[in-house]
Amino acid sequence: MSPTTFLEQSLANGIHRIGQIEVRATGSGFQLFHADDLALVDQPDHGLTVHHDPEVARDISTYSEDGTYRFTKGQTNLKRGWIMILDSIDDTRRALDHFYPAALGLVAAQRDGTLQIETLREKLNRQTGMYRFARNISDAGAQQLVQEVCGPAHQCAKWILWKLDAETPLDDSEASRFRGIPGNLPESEAIPLVCREACNHFVAECRKVSKAEHAAANPGG
Amino acid sequence: MPITPKPHSALLIVGHGSTENPDSSTPYFDHADEIRRRGLFKEVHCCFWKEEPSMREAWYLTDCTDIYVVPDFISEGYFTQDVIPRELELTGPTTTVRGKTFHYCLPVGVHPSMTGLILRRAKEVAPDIDPANTTLIITGHGTGLNQNSTKAIRDQVDLIIASDAGYAHVTDAYMEEQPFIAKWDELATTPNVVVVPFFISDGLHSYQDIPVMLGIEPEVGPAASQREVFRHNPYHLREKTLYYSSAIGTERHLADVILDQIADFDKELKVRS
Ligand code: SF4
Repeated sequence: MSPTTFLEQSLANGIHRIGQIEVRATGSGFQLFHADDLALVDQPDHGLTVHHDPEVARDISTYSEDGTYRFTKGQTNLKRGWIMILDSIDDTRRALDHFYPAALGLVAAQRDGTLQIETLREKLNRQTGMYRFARNISDAGAQQLVQEVCGPAHQCAKWILWKLDAETPLDDSEASRFRGIPGNLPESEAIPLVCREACNHFVAECRKVSKAEHAAANPGG
Repeated sequence: MPITPKPHSALLIVGHGSTENPDSSTPYFDHADEIRRRGLFKEVHCCFWKEEPSMREAWYLTDCTDIYVVPDFISEGYFTQDVIPRELELTGPTTTVRGKTFHYCLPVGVHPSMTGLILRRAKEVAPDIDPANTTLIITGHGTGLNQNSTKAIRDQVDLIIASDAGYAHVTDAYMEEQPFIAKWDELATTPNVVVVPFFISDGLHSYQDIPVMLGIEPEVGPAASQREVFRHNPYHLREKTLYYSSAIGTERHLADVILDQIADFDKELKVRS
């Protein structure tokens, strides 16, 4: 199913949330805004900055309120204070593609059974340059890292679909149990965010851990 | 050469991206937006090696079954010849991957129409000077790792010399190999010098490292100066007048070069939508 059709059908079936974004069909178009601004939106002087260009989504979603770069768009630190008023489903999908890159297509494929998931080992083994060393991380180190980097406690709202390798699932934890829907909404009301391959931030953290493991195993050199 | 509209195809622009500097992917999105506005493709998307969406996720971005892939890179090399084909599972110029057909074009930087872009950029940054009194320096990284990027720059130098642009002198220069950009004043034979960095995006190289080598920034400091460095032209330095441009890839008309690569691909392989 195409990402746009998936979005259309989801909205028709009562879905109104993806990540931290509330999506509303208004009859004449669509509104997107931060779910935490829900109480403001319908007030006449809501004070939100109004945008009509879906491309603005990239600017809104690059940095968090305190100016830190959002290393994955799955982070739950999306800025508030804006509303997008869009004319078409295509523009809505384009904006969502900036807010949550490929998210609609990934979930559509997951539901169709065509999503190919990439294990952590596959991801690490494909790294080049300075990140090549990341592949040396131990299984235990990687399991630990998932619990230190992923999941809502660490500001990532994605549902981890990958295993360490084909035979090794993630240890049970809050991070591995999380199903991609922040804000306690039921599955019938939100499109989950999925993590089909570890993000580059996770890879960078793997490199740090594998360096530390290497240093610990080779004291003095 | 005008491109045939492809109302059923998607365009996928591939960039490197960065885990730390979101500015580095801005040009790719700008190019995508520019092409999208022209309505030539059903969909236009970007994907990256070091940013979301990843190349492996690109397959899921569109339901178009015909996809043109253009690497927004300045030269052929490890990324365009190894990493991108591996990530997108491409085995040749045209590959069908799980029901979607990908056409793999050459990177933007090797297209001859880059020459026009460099000349336009040089004119923009120094509109009032006479090329006859001016040396144009095209600068890149230059390392043993990727001889192709050096070659791409040398090719542009040759094309500009052969053109009627009228520059007194045109030369290449590099951060890490001869001729060194740090010696720009010795390379230049004229009072005016225009330096154009041959990179896709402005990053540490173009707004920090090269400015230090040119002598227009005192030392490598925080990356904060960013675009400021391009706003203080001209610089009167080492008894010359220096104009420094931002990276060539930030030029809006790079979108045309992307389309030119697609047109060339079609011509080569007689693919017709
Ligand atoms: S690897 Fe972890 S932190 Fe990175 S996107 Fe996936 S779930 Fe989030």
